[in-house]
Amino acid sequence: MEYIRRGPVLFDGGMGSMLIAAGLGEKEIPEQWNFLHPEIMIEIHTAYLEAGAEVIQTNTFGATAIKLAASEGGRGLDPSAVNEKAAELALEALRLFSGGRGAGENAMPRFVAGDIGPVGEFFPPMGKLTAERARAAFREQAVALNRGGVDLFLIETMYDLREAVEALRAVREVSNKPVIVELTMDLKPRGYFTLVGDAVSKAVEVLIPEGADVIGANCTIASEAMVGLVPEFRRLTRAPLLFQPNAGRPEISGGAAVYRQTPGEFAADLAKILDAGADCVGGCCGTTPDFIRAARAMIDAKGRASR
Amino acid sequence: MREHLKACMQAVLEGDGERAEELAKLTLERKLPLLEVIDGGFVAGIREVGRLWEEGALFLPELVMGAEAMKMAMGVLQPALEASGGKQEKAGHVVIGTIEGDIHDIGKTLVATMLSANGFGITDLGADVPAAKFVDEAEKRGAGCIAVSALLTTTMPGQKKVIEELRKRSLRGKVRVMVGGAPCSEKWAEDIGADGYAGDAVSAVALAKKFMA
Repeated sequence: MEYIRRGPVLFDGGMGSMLIAAGLGEKEIPEQWNFLHPEIMIEIHTAYLEAGAEVIQTNTFGATAIKLAASEGGRGLDPSAVNEKAAELALEALRLFSGGRGAGENAMPRFVAGDIGPVGEFFPPMGKLTAERARAAFREQAVALNRGGVDLFLIETMYDLREAVEALRAVREVSNKPVIVELTMDLKPRGYFTLVGDAVSKAVEVLIPEGADVIGANCTIASEAMVGLVPEFRRLTRAPLLFQPNAGRPEISGGAAVYRQTPGEFAADLAKILDAGADCVGGCCGTTPDFIRAARAMIDAKGRASR
Repeated sequence: MREHLKACMQAVLEGDGERAEELAKLTLERKLPLLEVIDGGFVAGIREVGRLWEEGALFLPELVMGAEAMKMAMGVLQPALEASGGKQEKAGHVVIGTIEGDIHDIGKTLVATMLSANGFGITDLGADVPAAKFVDEAEKRGAGCIAVSALLTTTMPGQKKVIEELRKRSLRGKVRVMVGGAPCSEKWAEDIGADGYAGDAVSAVALAKKFMA
């Protein structure tokens, strides 16, 4: 937390697009690769570390019992085992990197964030998810990530504040480590809202008292639209803020998703996001180590006055 | 009567299913003209819900509750309507589903609910539906429209397969295809030769109406 308060901190970028590029099968889910291809997981984490990310995220976005049970590929996985394994892989990548290319006196501190995404079911009236079921699934995930040794928790892509709160409470039940909560918001005619209609003001009012150390937003909108969201948060809270936009909107070319935005354009928007009051930035869907490298260069060029 | 219509509309607008059901029963008790109540009351309500959603004044929960209220009212009125022989003029039949390999069905279900609330006959095939199955069902039901959802960039090429399958069976001229889902766009619909793209449940209804007009 001290580190985050001191200046812009760079998080890593997308995991899904990296895995697809590495050959993730149509019926496979990313979490399976923690067991099937641990060496590739370490490679991806390492690529982000080399690109200059200070925080890398575990490959556990969908690793709650509820979400795993909903897919063919996830059904055979034990939620606790996946989370613990994914945390160990990220830490192993960090250990290897710090002992090798990332070593040295001026080395930046680096951290592993235990990634927690939505369970994939909706609360009423859209679905039948209950607070108890969501909390239990998140608790199981948080316990395993903690056992795996993560340095902090990153709850992300939450489209319903109620679910974000259950995840946050679950983490708080098992750990005192820093917790970040990112909602995913869209730009509507009347402003920025989550899918179920949570406004920024409500998010700030609820998440900070519930114990979130850092809040922010990720996914759904491209970096350009994210720039406008930052002041909405900043004028309501002094808490550290993290934003991880997508790399533009995906277009399909030759059967594959292509994100047209260039790393340079992305980094320029991240600079605006920092200027607007963000403390941490990173990437979401469509971003790669190249985007993070461009962001690193941008941040270094801005200078870290206080360090 | 005007008060009654207003109350029906309000019940849907507020997503009050119980009230909508009560009002539907009251419609039968008082022997009020069914079609008028449906169109001027409940459907007017769902239209208003759609308008407010487009404006960004309503969100997913309100949209779902409005559609549910509409469904509850229609559950009461539909049998009476059919018994009276004055069958509600269906807006047309739509076969809907999420494409093979994709298990995301929340958006698809929402579109199906809204189409049904707007008078369309619906065959909902669920999720993970092979392209051929869409066409089989459309043929069987004489559907004028197939709506294919894909939430993943890896599964959206399957939407194109549905169109190819229609062509193969020389049904392309008879059945319109709409695509939807987070990664889709107008451009994608154009690229694969679909008839249209719907970004949300409300625009899906508008598009279906355009197809069936």
